[in-house]
Amino acid sequence: MTVRSQSCLKPCPGGAENLHLRVTLSAYGGGIGTRGDPLSARTKSDKAICAKDLTLNYGTTQILRGIDVALPSGQTLALLGPSGCGKTTLLRLVAGLLAPTTGEIAIHGQLVAGPSVFVPPEKRQLGMVFQDYALWPHLTVAGNVAFPLEMAGVGRAEREARVTAALDRVGLAAMAARSPSALSGGQQQRVAIARAIVAEPRIVLFDEPLSNLDRELRETMVAELGALIRGLGLTAIYVTHDQSEALTLADQVAVMDSGQIAQLASPEHLVEQPASAKVAEFLRLGAVLRLSRDAKGWACAGHDLGPLGGPQSAAADVLITPRALRRIDVDAAALTGEVLAAQFRDTGYAVTVRLDGAAADARAGTAGTGQTVQISSDTRLRIGERVGLQILPDRLRWFPAP
Amino acid sequence: MLKTAFHASVAATALFVAGSALADVTVYTAGPEKLIADLAAGFTAETGTKVEFFQATTGNVMARIEAEAANPVVDVLISASWDTATDFAARGWLEPYTSPNAEMVPDFLKTDTAVAQGVAALAIAWNPNSGTPRPTEWADLAKPEFKDLVNLPDPAKSGSAFELVAALSAGGDMAMFDSLSANGAIVAGANADALNPVLQGAKAAVFGAVDYIALNGQAKGESIEVIFPESGTVIAPRPVMIMEWSQNQDEAKAFVDYMLSDAGQAIVAAQNLMPARTDVAADRALIADLKILPIDAAGVYGKRAETLEAFSKAFAQ
Amino acid sequence: MARTVERVSPSVIIAAAGLALVVAVPFVFIILQAIFPELGRGSLAAPFSALAGALGDPALIGMTGNTLLLGVLVVGLSALIGVPLAVARALFKVPGAVVWDLMFLIPFMIPPYIAVLGWIMALQPRGYLEQLVGVNLASFLFSVPGIVVIMTLNSFPVVYFAVSRTLETVGSRYADVARVFGASPARAFWRVTLPLSTPGLAASLLLVFAMAIEEYGTPAALGARAGFDVLVTAIDLRVSDWPIDLPGAAILSLVLVALSFGAFLMQRWILSRRSYEATTGKPQGSPKRDLGLWKWPVLLAFGLVAFVATGLPLLAILAGALSKTISGGLVWSNLGFSNFAAILGDTTGALKALGTSLSLGVATALVTGLLGALSAYAVVKSKVRGRGVIDVLTILPNALPGIVVAVGLILAWNQPWLPVTPYNTALILLLAYCCILLPQPVRYATAAFHQIGDNLEAAARVSGASSLTAFRRILLPLIAPSLLAAMLLVFAVASRELVASVVVAPVGVSTISTYIWRQFEQGSVGLGMAMAFVTILITTALPLIVLSLMGRRGNLL
Repeated sequence: MTVRSQSCLKPCPGGAENLHLRVTLSAYGGGIGTRGDPLSARTKSDKAICAKDLTLNYGTTQILRGIDVALPSGQTLALLGPSGCGKTTLLRLVAGLLAPTTGEIAIHGQLVAGPSVFVPPEKRQLGMVFQDYALWPHLTVAGNVAFPLEMAGVGRAEREARVTAALDRVGLAAMAARSPSALSGGQQQRVAIARAIVAEPRIVLFDEPLSNLDRELRETMVAELGALIRGLGLTAIYVTHDQSEALTLADQVAVMDSGQIAQLASPEHLVEQPASAKVAEFLRLGAVLRLSRDAKGWACAGHDLGPLGGPQSAAADVLITPRALRRIDVDAAALTGEVLAAQFRDTGYAVTVRLDGAAADARAGTAGTGQTVQISSDTRLRIGERVGLQILPDRLRWFPAP
Repeated sequence: MLKTAFHASVAATALFVAGSALADVTVYTAGPEKLIADLAAGFTAETGTKVEFFQATTGNVMARIEAEAANPVVDVLISASWDTATDFAARGWLEPYTSPNAEMVPDFLKTDTAVAQGVAALAIAWNPNSGTPRPTEWADLAKPEFKDLVNLPDPAKSGSAFELVAALSAGGDMAMFDSLSANGAIVAGANADALNPVLQGAKAAVFGAVDYIALNGQAKGESIEVIFPESGTVIAPRPVMIMEWSQNQDEAKAFVDYMLSDAGQAIVAAQNLMPARTDVAADRALIADLKILPIDAAGVYGKRAETLEAFSKAFAQ
Repeated sequence: MARTVERVSPSVIIAAAGLALVVAVPFVFIILQAIFPELGRGSLAAPFSALAGALGDPALIGMTGNTLLLGVLVVGLSALIGVPLAVARALFKVPGAVVWDLMFLIPFMIPPYIAVLGWIMALQPRGYLEQLVGVNLASFLFSVPGIVVIMTLNSFPVVYFAVSRTLETVGSRYADVARVFGASPARAFWRVTLPLSTPGLAASLLLVFAMAIEEYGTPAALGARAGFDVLVTAIDLRVSDWPIDLPGAAILSLVLVALSFGAFLMQRWILSRRSYEATTGKPQGSPKRDLGLWKWPVLLAFGLVAFVATGLPLLAILAGALSKTISGGLVWSNLGFSNFAAILGDTTGALKALGTSLSLGVATALVTGLLGALSAYAVVKSKVRGRGVIDVLTILPNALPGIVVAVGLILAWNQPWLPVTPYNTALILLLAYCCILLPQPVRYATAAFHQIGDNLEAAARVSGASSLTAFRRILLPLIAPSLLAAMLLVFAVASRELVASVVVAPVGVSTISTYIWRQFEQGSVGLGMAMAFVTILITTALPLIVLSLMGRRGNLL
């Protein structure tokens, strides 16, 4: 941990003097995580969640490798990445369901995990929605939702009112007396959401909440969740592997890869300026091609593409989004290919084209042959049809070749 | 649910701890439970001193004393085997005491540190319904009429059975047991395990049954007869000992006195044991009526392992 | 940078402390006794001096071999009887299924020493069988096959219940898939359904093995006559034959523990070779099939096994209890209720013994239930380091003969320097029973925890519940049905535990088993049998009443 991210250091009460104070406090007990903690007032910060240099190892396996995240109050952070990238682990660290090997986490300026400090989950005042809903089968719907209030010591009358209100908000007030197992998947997840918000936590964590639902329901629920988060002014962390969910809901998206954050940015920024070829690929923004420079400009798989701009290096990766390609006549095109698949979308057809490759091109053996790009088309193209393509250089995004 | 469990266990704990405060005299006994229960009740009624007792086989009582050796609990020990008295005296575990009531106990039933409470004898326990001729001698049980119909208590598990084996194999002559074995007799566990099959009729007789158990069965109407062979048998006096570590010596001595009193000996006789005192009557054959085979205790127990091995060799096939 | 230290859950701490008290303390003293022969007298002199003598005993190899043979044969026969019945029960509509479950439950309630005495009285020459139909099976009974059969009749229900419940969970879903892909019903069963029930089968076979090598009553009563010595009978001889050889008994016990531990490792290995995740999901009711033509053969098999395993011993016990004298035999004039009258009239201290044992049974069920649940939680759900030790401690008692547990407890709790001690109070019996019976609730709770998703607890924690609150409010209710079943079983077995009770019973305290055993010792077989029958009735009826009050009738195991 030699290089520290500076963006988050100051608001995080993780420095040596704070640490000392923290240890003293925890030694007296009860100070950690209670509302009246003087430290949280002293280091009041607009950062709802701040994680610094987080690592987590299981034995010799590194699950998380130096995570730095800061999330302002009222914002939603999406953790996006393929399975095994560590996004759920990061969420569980914030929840207190896991303890980091090293590093610190602060919630609203209060250190909840760090050297010799660990605030258990029940003292972190969070709400959480799980991928498998995690509804307790031995309690009714109302019993599930009432649980966080019971734990907070809310009296019966107020509890009932708030449970009804929370269930109303997710449209399930009529189901209060039922057993969770009698509900559909979507209804179960709504109950789980009601349970997460009923105690009015400042922060709600979502762990792939919609991945067990079918696509149509998922799209409805994304909209509902977005409205709910905005309506309640929640700070949220939302773990997903679905980039459209992430881009729809989040103010900031952290794209994770192998236990690290590959890019942390707003959705617009992410789409416009992905930080790496890998991020671009994961976001499915388009095809990433390996280009090499020769006398006439850039070439891919033996096709000369002309001077497209880009860096002055011998080789580079380029992201070609559908918007960066235009279909032209096959004979006039420098770049040609064959239609592999065409999928109907609301706005037209998303067409996958396999670029013609020169088998002789030894270096391109991997990059050229079989390389595909996406284009959009208003008309349906037949599989196997040959198409010509033109690249629009100003819509390309370049990455240095690794 | 957790809370209920907790309350219940606290209540149970309180109950148990309160219920078993240590008694004034603690007796470990290998004798019949009814005997010690009646003796304890009688003693408490007479003196007001409470008696708590632990009753088990000689082996289990010994195991407990051995395991407790670092912090012994027992004040008075009643064994079913005189060997215990000899052994414990040698270890220096016994408090010398001669009860004034022991005057009428014959000398061979008392030492400085132990005195017999009562005496059992070994006998043939025969089921008259078994369709076999009434045996009168040990050797009768090796006859063809008793083929496969005889049980022997295991001398490794019963001290008195061991003494019988030792007495009948004096000089290492196992002929008696070889012939029993050849006649299909089997070794069947401790005393009760040997007797039960005879009661049901699976076997006709026990070779060396403890007499009072069979007599008690007879009193209940079981078809069983107790026969003391005229050639002689062995007796199993039940020694009472006061442990030297006892913190309740006076009460312990008072308890020993009570056991040897008229009342105490009557309770012993009621269990069909022979009273240790010769001046107490009982409704059964007494020591004077029996021919007792001589036993050189030191010599016999010195060769216990060899005798047991020879015995089990006779019955191993 | 220093590690963040996550506090260990209090549940795990309680489990570890409880296990240390209930299992580790007596076990450590057994090991110490094996090493230091003079331990009982408070001396650490001559360490290891007893090892050579005990392990050098030429009979040891033979006894160990016999013990293994007995264990393996009982396991094999239990599987042979238990698995087919379990398959029929789990996958098909067997008429009267609940009745059969009950019938197979009763063998648990019959104390093994009573059962074997019942068998002897039924099968020996002039026994009940001969009195009724004129034949006896003595030569079979007093033989190794006889021992194996009698012990199997006591232990096959373990396999039956474990496998039928696992198979019910797996259901025929996966077999149906196999059939779609062309497997015949038989092949689908062998290739898919049966392998998926491996966890239940392996766990129950391990338990049967441990029970078989640890049981004292049957090998002692039947084996001696067959010349079949096993480790347990040798251990018993060492602690009951003067001079008492505690170090020898401790060393032989450790051999027994090693055998059991070997079986445990083997079970682990079998289960670790592949995933059985399918069985950990939510149970989905899959409809049972009709037996069709097989209905009558299957019913006959159930009936036959139930009659032999439950009916015959019960009848033999009842016959003994109703007989005025044993020598009188089964004739009307000899039958009557005098033995029962003596018990209920409490002229013999029977009611007090019943009260003591039943309260001890309840206390044992509560303590082992709680400790078992916490230990299973620590093993299955926590990530605590050293949970492997907890796991081992929970199965260790399986391999410890009751009498050795008793000796270990005396050695541990009768130290003169202890300011307070449970020794010589009924608490020592509670400790002994808890140690011996702990594996039962642990086994049930472990299986139940495996079926509970991790997030159910996580959700409670995030909702503001402390670790203990989450355990009490969420996890405990979820495993309650399984745990309750185990606790009822513990209650039944603790109520009649004999071997340890005989040695550690505090002065002046009599339990059901010591009462029965004393009656036998003093020749009052009928009284003992009557007490046994009353006990079986109570320990069977009480759990059923509890369960039916809770609306879970017939779901005991």
